[in-house]
Amino acid sequence: MAASTTCLRCLRSRALPAASNRAFSVLNRPPPNYPGHVPLTGPERLFLAAGSALMSFIDPRRGDMIALLGETTAQPFFITRLRDTMLRHPTGRRILRARPRITSQSLSLPRLRSLPPNTIGATYVAWLDREGVSPDTRADVRYIDDEECAYVMQRYRECHDFYHAITGLPIVREGEIALKAFEFANTGLPMTGLSVFSALTVKADERERLLKVYLPWAVRNGMQAESVLNVYWEEELETDVGEMRERLGIEVPPDLRTARAEARRRKRDGKTTTTTATTAAAGTAPTGDETAKVETEAERAEREQLEIERKAMEILEQADKM
Amino acid sequence: MWHENIDHANVINRTKTTMRQTLLRLPTRNSVWAFRASRPAQIASTRRSFASEASPSPEVYDVVVVGGGPVGLTLAASLGAARTTSHLKVALIEGMDLAPIRNWSPKPDYFANRIVSLIPSTVRLLKEIGAWKHIQQNRVQSYDGMQVWDGMTGARVEFDWNKLWGGKDEQTDTTIAHMVENIHLSHGLLKAIGDLAVQPTMIDKTKVERIQYGEMTGQLDMRDWPVVTLSTGQQLAARLLIGADGGNSPVRTFAGIESRGWDYDRHSMVATFKIEDDSAFPKFAYQRFLPSGPVAILPLPGNFANLAWSTTPEKVTHLKSLAPEDFVAMVNAAFRLSYTDIDYLHNLKSGVVEETKWRESVTQHPDPPQIPVRITEVLDGTRASFPLKMRHADKYIAERIALVGDAAHTIHPMAGQGLNSGIGDVYSLVKSLAEGIRHGQDVGSSFTLEPFQSERYLPNNALLGFVDKLHTLYGFESGPLVPLRSLGVEIINRDWFGLKRFLMSQAAKS
Repeated sequence: MAASTTCLRCLRSRALPAASNRAFSVLNRPPPNYPGHVPLTGPERLFLAAGSALMSFIDPRRGDMIALLGETTAQPFFITRLRDTMLRHPTGRRILRARPRITSQSLSLPRLRSLPPNTIGATYVAWLDREGVSPDTRADVRYIDDEECAYVMQRYRECHDFYHAITGLPIVREGEIALKAFEFANTGLPMTGLSVFSALTVKADERERLLKVYLPWAVRNGMQAESVLNVYWEEELETDVGEMRERLGIEVPPDLRTARAEARRRKRDGKTTTTTATTAAAGTAPTGDETAKVETEAERAEREQLEIERKAMEILEQADKM
Repeated sequence: MWHENIDHANVINRTKTTMRQTLLRLPTRNSVWAFRASRPAQIASTRRSFASEASPSPEVYDVVVVGGGPVGLTLAASLGAARTTSHLKVALIEGMDLAPIRNWSPKPDYFANRIVSLIPSTVRLLKEIGAWKHIQQNRVQSYDGMQVWDGMTGARVEFDWNKLWGGKDEQTDTTIAHMVENIHLSHGLLKAIGDLAVQPTMIDKTKVERIQYGEMTGQLDMRDWPVVTLSTGQQLAARLLIGADGGNSPVRTFAGIESRGWDYDRHSMVATFKIEDDSAFPKFAYQRFLPSGPVAILPLPGNFANLAWSTTPEKVTHLKSLAPEDFVAMVNAAFRLSYTDIDYLHNLKSGVVEETKWRESVTQHPDPPQIPVRITEVLDGTRASFPLKMRHADKYIAERIALVGDAAHTIHPMAGQGLNSGIGDVYSLVKSLAEGIRHGQDVGSSFTLEPFQSERYLPNNALLGFVDKLHTLYGFESGPLVPLRSLGVEIINRDWFGLKRFLMSQAAKS
């Protein structure tokens, strides 16, 4: 079935040059190059890019706006360059040829849960479960004109959760910003770079942590690592995470969740006069019991806030799916 | 300019009587020249008797041409064809056997891989010296359009008279160039030499052993005459020694003339192909500039075409090692796929057919006639290559020495101007010699040769420089020059300020 659609698609792409000879305007939109494609005029593209940038800055949870920003700013240069990076790599070429999609159908989640815990598949599914998201939450690309480049954008988007899995960065805003910076250094897509500006909207201590620890880590690793788009994730599900990090050349960032918990503890210690519990296990995630024991008023408020945010995310994702 | 000067026959007819008078009056009336050139002038008047009386070696010739390539042969044929120079005693020395070229006959359904593009002015000279009538017109492909584009951005110049505003001018011939096989051209030139009234001495299968200055003999002072010793032991003394002996010219070395320039670290790969039926399209020359070098397809009669692909030596070696069908796919891809793909394909040892089929299905590229029609088959044994370089001799002349063609200047083949500028040298040199003879000068003196050098040096230097800069400009894969060069190309292509029409008429006129 895939073969037959490819054929139709190339027929359409062949037909494009003739159609595009006519003046292209809002009143005379050329036919789509692939199913779901929406050809945009220059001003439309500009307006959508500016609008989506503003909206995602105001509300970083608008995944649709971020996706739109990604598509409208990637063309003409950046997405082509990313495609060329894939074309230069044997695995990247194989991906472009097969055009695999990552969905809950293509990946058997129960099988992934049965894999040894240090494999990419298990880490990925554990991460999905922990964050309560599904591979199906990714929208289709619509505004990129070249069909192959549109697939590259789609692939980047669908593999985003794997990048979370191998870097271990969580979906809190801080983690997202750090990951976006990593992606920018690695893929060069403008949206990922623009997203780093939302560091301006996080709390001062988080911003400081980003600037001191996570952004330098992201830039260094993003630039030195092999392109993450040249990984055939579907074939690497049983690979050891450490081995994959080594292969790509990625250092493990300090655990953000631990760092946050520790920062909170330090903050609380500063406020209270008690000098106990200063030797909280460094480098390991605090267990549920421990957090329960030392939870303060402020911390509980923050935990509840996070809970609400996560619920809101889920609702939004549900809405996206519909 | 051409019409004023090249028409030797007319000029000579008109000035024949004056010329004789001039020659007779020379020693008294033009005494300065007579004194300056006194020794050679004496020898000129008594040459034949001296030559026969002197010791068996060396034999004295007015002109000795070293090198029997197209430029050397054109020179020998032109000297014999121009009335003023036809009496000169000429010898031509060639290391290879000329018999296969003399006896060459075309094989149907086959074209050799070494092809030259002859611009109209070159063809005019060939007509004049009687060589063009020996060229079989059904094996010559002329074209009046070109498609040249940038491999990175796709910016394109279309030299197509039918698309130019105002269309084709019916009065002028719009042909840009004629494609002829090298061997076919040499064959025609040898036939033209065979037709000459005064036959030059053709010495083939013979190498030049050494060149040195002659000695003072009892009757002759030959101390400033180059004497060529051949591998057969024969010695030729030359009033004028002409180096048409290619890039590593022994004549240039003998004259102590420095040749400057650089190697491009590129080889040009050539091959001849069968192509799909292209009768629906005009015959065009196609050239796509890739960062590794330009790739060109040149038209041949019928469903044939010739390739000239300049790229790195490693890539050429790889292209030669490919299976024929993979090689064909690779060349088709070179005009259709992105440079990233082409670069990647150079790493594949097999399966190029498969890979290009997929890439072409997902890559948007123009269709014929903007790009060449598909090639279907490479002719056996036509894949060959040669290194590319840029060289320019400090000067083309010295006392009793002249350099023409590649001996004087070697150019990147992207513009197809190497042989044409060599033949331009021949035309200019013969014109200078005729002028010198008309004024009673020695053919070997720098006074005779000076006009040749001053006429040819600057145009050749400009052409060499221009082609060299193009090579550099299109060597960039990215950076600020890439959009700038595309902008320039767009301006030319839109025919602003009539620039394109001007370029095209210049190309057709030249």
